[in-house]
Amino acid sequence: MIRAATRIAGMILTLVVSSFVIFAAMYAAPGDPVTFLIGNPENMTPERVAEVKAQYNLDQPLIVQYGLWASQAFVGNLGTSFQYHQPVAELMATRLPATLALVAMASVLFIVAGVGLGILSALRQGKRTDSTITAATTLAASVPSFVIGLLLVSIFSVQLGWFPVSGAGEGFLDRLHHLALPAVALAVGAVAIVSRVTRQSMVEQISMDHVEAARSFGLAPAKLIRRHVLRNAWGPILTMVALVVASMLAGTVVVESVFGISGVGKLLVDAINTHDFPVVQAVLLYMVITYMVVTTLVDLVHPLLDPRIKAKDKKS
Amino acid sequence: MKRNDRFKPFARTGVIAGAAAFTLAISACNAAGPQAQSTPTDVSFGPTTSEAAGPIDSFTWMITQEPATFDLDKDSGTAENTIMSNVCERLMKLQPDLTTTPHLAESAEWTSDTTVVFTLRKDVTFHDGTPMTADDVLWSMQRHAAKGADESDEYANVTDMAKTGENQITVTLKQRDAIFLQAMAGNGGIVLNRKVVEAQGANFGSPSAPDACSGPLKLEKWSAGSNITLTKAADYWDADNASLTSAVTFRWADDNAIVNALTSGEAQGAYLDSPATAGPLQKSDKVQIAQGPSTNVWSLIATERGALNDERIRQALSLALNRQGVAQAAFGGLAKPWKTPVGPGAWGYEEPTFSSAYEALTGAPTQPSEEDLKKAKKLVQEAGVPAEPIVVANSGDSIRNVISSALVEAAQKIGLTAEIVTIPRQQYGDFYSDASLRAQADLFSDEYYISKNDPVGFYKNGASTARVNFVKFIGEGYDNKVKEAQATTDDAARAKLAIELEKQWTDAVVWIPVAHTPATIAMAKDITGAPSSASFLYYPWAADVGSSKK
Repeated sequence: MIRAATRIAGMILTLVVSSFVIFAAMYAAPGDPVTFLIGNPENMTPERVAEVKAQYNLDQPLIVQYGLWASQAFVGNLGTSFQYHQPVAELMATRLPATLALVAMASVLFIVAGVGLGILSALRQGKRTDSTITAATTLAASVPSFVIGLLLVSIFSVQLGWFPVSGAGEGFLDRLHHLALPAVALAVGAVAIVSRVTRQSMVEQISMDHVEAARSFGLAPAKLIRRHVLRNAWGPILTMVALVVASMLAGTVVVESVFGISGVGKLLVDAINTHDFPVVQAVLLYMVITYMVVTTLVDLVHPLLDPRIKAKDKKS
Repeated sequence: MKRNDRFKPFARTGVIAGAAAFTLAISACNAAGPQAQSTPTDVSFGPTTSEAAGPIDSFTWMITQEPATFDLDKDSGTAENTIMSNVCERLMKLQPDLTTTPHLAESAEWTSDTTVVFTLRKDVTFHDGTPMTADDVLWSMQRHAAKGADESDEYANVTDMAKTGENQITVTLKQRDAIFLQAMAGNGGIVLNRKVVEAQGANFGSPSAPDACSGPLKLEKWSAGSNITLTKAADYWDADNASLTSAVTFRWADDNAIVNALTSGEAQGAYLDSPATAGPLQKSDKVQIAQGPSTNVWSLIATERGALNDERIRQALSLALNRQGVAQAAFGGLAKPWKTPVGPGAWGYEEPTFSSAYEALTGAPTQPSEEDLKKAKKLVQEAGVPAEPIVVANSGDSIRNVISSALVEAAQKIGLTAEIVTIPRQQYGDFYSDASLRAQADLFSDEYYISKNDPVGFYKNGASTARVNFVKFIGEGYDNKVKEAQATTDDAARAKLAIELEKQWTDAVVWIPVAHTPATIAMAKDITGAPSSASFLYYPWAADVGSSKK
């Protein structure tokens, strides 16, 4: 009970601190939203600048502006976009589905491929398969996702015409079709990380005494791997998968740009460039929250997978 | 000029500038990039593409970003205008050749020096079928003129608007205003269906709201974050100009994705943000490129910082600048070296007069000749070399890189030293409003355009009170000439004044003009008919698009 309370208090504190840091950082960033709000350089008279600043509370001290924003955000009002003149919540609602679908597809891809290759690598430790997988994933990890995206587009969309060039698609199948290439582009780098962690974690487990012991008792290799190796190796793998998913939720921007997907990442970059403060605030806040939610989920799931953690928790 | 998208081209490329440049290179299957391209020979230049031979079912058009709102009194930029020019009609109509004719108003007459009378057509119906009334027109004009509305500056001289007959609106102005009728072909002249706007309230202009206009196409559906569809308006009042297509779908993506969408045939056309984007598209056998007049010119804008306050230094730099090199390196040859700070799209009347006056201008050569350099060196000698190097602002994007380097090269050639300072692209627009930023550079490059097709609309920027006349240029009698030109409604007389202003401005090189970027359209070869000039922002271009084969 107390643990849950401290946990929630910690999360709230994180939110307050991070939202303030985000707020302050936007103001410290070069460029002035007034330039965008007025637009026409011929209209940039001192009077008009003052008027616009007053209209958007930009003439208030930073802390007052933060207070105004936070008190509204607390009751669920994330403000109105400078650029779109629409409630920020509505803007987010139209952009989130594409980003979430993209991350979900990429996650399935990188988890299946990453864990699969990692297991294979660990089982063939030191053999040619192992070194091939390591080399290939190292190469994949070193190529930025936008380069992979551009290559995929130019081969599979422009030249072969198998996949759409841009957009997120509408309806389930159309969306799968549209997001296939972007999901691959997003997943490639993660495959390398996850396969590496899986391999390492498995290799450690394989060399453990109890595994040796089980093997000497003549346990079938498949059972041995499932029951004794993989089960104990899950911890680090799951943590890494969660961290990668969390970072993907915040890091789709480049892939969204390459594939012309109107997602949250694209929304964020456009908002930063136009100094659309309410949108930047909201998107970054969403990112902080999803990060916290994902890591909390992992903490909750961990003990279920690994009884040793539960036991340790009870003792302490 | 309206909310400019000038700040956006670089804002949009933002974080992924590298990605975009990279794609342009690989989509062209040519890693050398635009620099390696030879001057295009197959790009036609003119106000329109060839006329369509027949109707088509539908087509998909790319824009560079999702519109922000369809309430154009709140805001409008290229994305909003490209779409709404087909949906909303205006009192006057901008034509593809950038001249203006009466439209929803069947005539517009100056009845005295300060009164203009609009006689309205009686047969116009809005998209919901209700007829347009003089009350709708008056209400719309008042909405545009309201304080804070995007178009309110167009009504700055208006003192009174009234319904003076069943089909008549009379506008009274403080002074004769030659630009006012042109403005009524822009967003300030849109006639809205009052009933529809009021029913929507604050929701008007948002993705779920219907349009409130008359026009050949109507807003069918805006799926926020995804696409926008227009469909042919049923029973459009102007049957001769009804839409040839039944539906147009708009989708948005970055420049590189637009190139891919066009080459793969997923989309059929786009008005390109920069002619440079057309480079890779020229390689495709499915896509045609055409260019037409616009007012856009990239200039090096001098600040009040110091070195360039001496007009002779500005003249010398202008003489030594290699404009041809910039047009080639930054735009793949699809921009034109230019001698004035406003493009030929501004010549909306008396075009031959403007054209020959332009030809006669000196001081901004395409490529500097030995003679030009000699003259420039002499000017520098007379003025004296500034104690500190000349500083030119860059933002790290490819166009500005080329222009800044060209300026440094020009300075070196004539015994001046110049260096480049890089300003974050997000901050670049602040040059117009932030004096402390301007104190960091003597010159910054930017693409400038005006929304009305009249050079006077630009040269008022040289008046001693103008916001963008940073070097405090005061031409003899210039301010009065601006006022006189603005009040002269006779085209020939106004052209004469405009040309005098142009001469004074360019002789003093208030800004250093570099290159004119024409409007550039890319279209699948099986469709045609769209205008290739900058008129697409206000003229119902999509209605003219049809099949290129009978």
